[in-house]
Amino acid sequence: MKQQLREFIFNELIFVAEPDKFSDDDDLLEAGLDSMGIMRLIMHIEEQFNITLPDSEIDPDNVNSFNALEQWILQHKT
Amino acid sequence: MNIISPFFQQCDQSPDNSALIEENTSISYAEFKTRIEKIATFLTNKHVKDQCIAIALDRGIDAASCIYGVLHVGAIYLPLDIKNPATRLNFIIHDARPSFIIGRGSAPDWLENKHLWLDISQLLLNDVHIHTPPQANNTDLAAILYTSGSTGKPKGVALSHQALLNFSSWASYTFKLDQQDRIASLAPFHFDLSIFDLFSSLASGASVYFLPARFSLSPSRLTAWLSEHKITIWYTVPSILSFVALKGALATTPLPHLKRLLFAGEVFPSQNLIKLAYLLADTALYNLYGPTETNVCCYWQVERQRLSPDHTIPIGRAAGAAKLDIDPVTAELLVDSLNNFSGYWQQGQLKPQTTQYYPTGDKVSLNVQGELLYHGRLDRMLKCSGYRVEPAEIEQCINQLNGVQNSAVVGIKDQASGQRPAAAIVLKSSSNLAETIKPLRQQLPPYMQPCKFLVLDTLPTLSNGKTDYPSVQKLF
Repeated sequence: MKQQLREFIFNELIFVAEPDKFSDDDDLLEAGLDSMGIMRLIMHIEEQFNITLPDSEIDPDNVNSFNALEQWILQHKT
Repeated sequence: MNIISPFFQQCDQSPDNSALIEENTSISYAEFKTRIEKIATFLTNKHVKDQCIAIALDRGIDAASCIYGVLHVGAIYLPLDIKNPATRLNFIIHDARPSFIIGRGSAPDWLENKHLWLDISQLLLNDVHIHTPPQANNTDLAAILYTSGSTGKPKGVALSHQALLNFSSWASYTFKLDQQDRIASLAPFHFDLSIFDLFSSLASGASVYFLPARFSLSPSRLTAWLSEHKITIWYTVPSILSFVALKGALATTPLPHLKRLLFAGEVFPSQNLIKLAYLLADTALYNLYGPTETNVCCYWQVERQRLSPDHTIPIGRAAGAAKLDIDPVTAELLVDSLNNFSGYWQQGQLKPQTTQYYPTGDKVSLNVQGELLYHGRLDRMLKCSGYRVEPAEIEQCINQLNGVQNSAVVGIKDQASGQRPAAAIVLKSSSNLAETIKPLRQQLPPYMQPCKFLVLDTLPTLSNGKTDYPSVQKLF
């Protein structure tokens, strides 16, 4: 799952010079993920994984790293 | 008249009304006045009239106090984006040559010239010795807002008291601001949208609520905050409103107090606007248009029955008695208005604007209703999250990197809203892309960072030898 997220985020939303060195705990917001990027990311996740992420849970804490994103998605996958 | 005089009149009438609210702190008109006068008392002794004073504070009560304090002594405020990289901040300081920079605590590492620094908490310790703000002549400068420049360097747009007053009073009148209004402020003070939040608001006796910046990443908390504080008016950018429309839980958080929503800075994607208009059925929506140089020169009140997913909305009709003209050959919108800037601030002084009509660089046409429609740029300027971005400024940064021979920056359409910069780069032999572009992170603000890079052997050129940007665009 993280691989899929990496591909989408690094190809479509932000540019990271050395993606291999970007760890699953590194801060995506500091790397440039902004409100527009988060919006597109959520729509992508909902479509890819066929889940609905509640509006109330959209928060920096859930989107600021690959680990946080994975945890958040897993909570909503049946 | 001084742009802050209307605030003092409101303060005399209703000193106990709430002026500014930030998190759990609320200050009244009278308390705000005292803070302004403390700062002004300190600055008076420094003889700074008509000089520029930079403010290195985040949006909030302290920054607003400094802005008003600076204007109170007849000086010019220059709001810095403290999240800018050090190189960009230092460029602006070298170009603007401010007499002082007001911030918090001790001088930051990025500042080369540390003796310019003043700590706001020291300024607020002063006793008050002066009261009425001085009169300002119409042409006296009030603000310098730095934006991206097509020559490759940021440029300071200098605005007079008259320009700010004309816009501020037009907005107060048009959007019927009064003492009951609660205005949300999210735009940073270096962004021209903040002129409404800072001046139209307090000139009308309204209260300003500073929206915590973290909520722009958390749309349902943002709408909950708007609801909790019974916000009546908010002026912001379409990219934030799109996020709110799609993910802001508006269906379960109706905003019955929100009377008016104003937006500007970029084209609002129609499908998102339709959703927003549906969810906020009782809120009047307004599309405002104008570059920093003219502020709002035309606007359109959204007519819901005319919204269609296939069409972008008009930018409407003249605002603030602006005279609008369309160049018959290029279709460029030309603006003559009292809102217009005085010129660019360069190397510590004003370089006056000499033409009466400001050429916006935007292509427009008139529809059958006589409203203006926007058709994009005549030059290469991009709109990224509402910010204006000149590709030349990014190219200049890239070209200065070790290992780069040449570059071309173009905009690629963001699926959500606006554009994002993308860069085609020609590397010197033996350079590696990842290593080469690493320093960019420290040189450009986040909204100017290219989202894609492409390495080319040569840049495509036109027959006259100039870079063929449309061809570069097609490569992404």
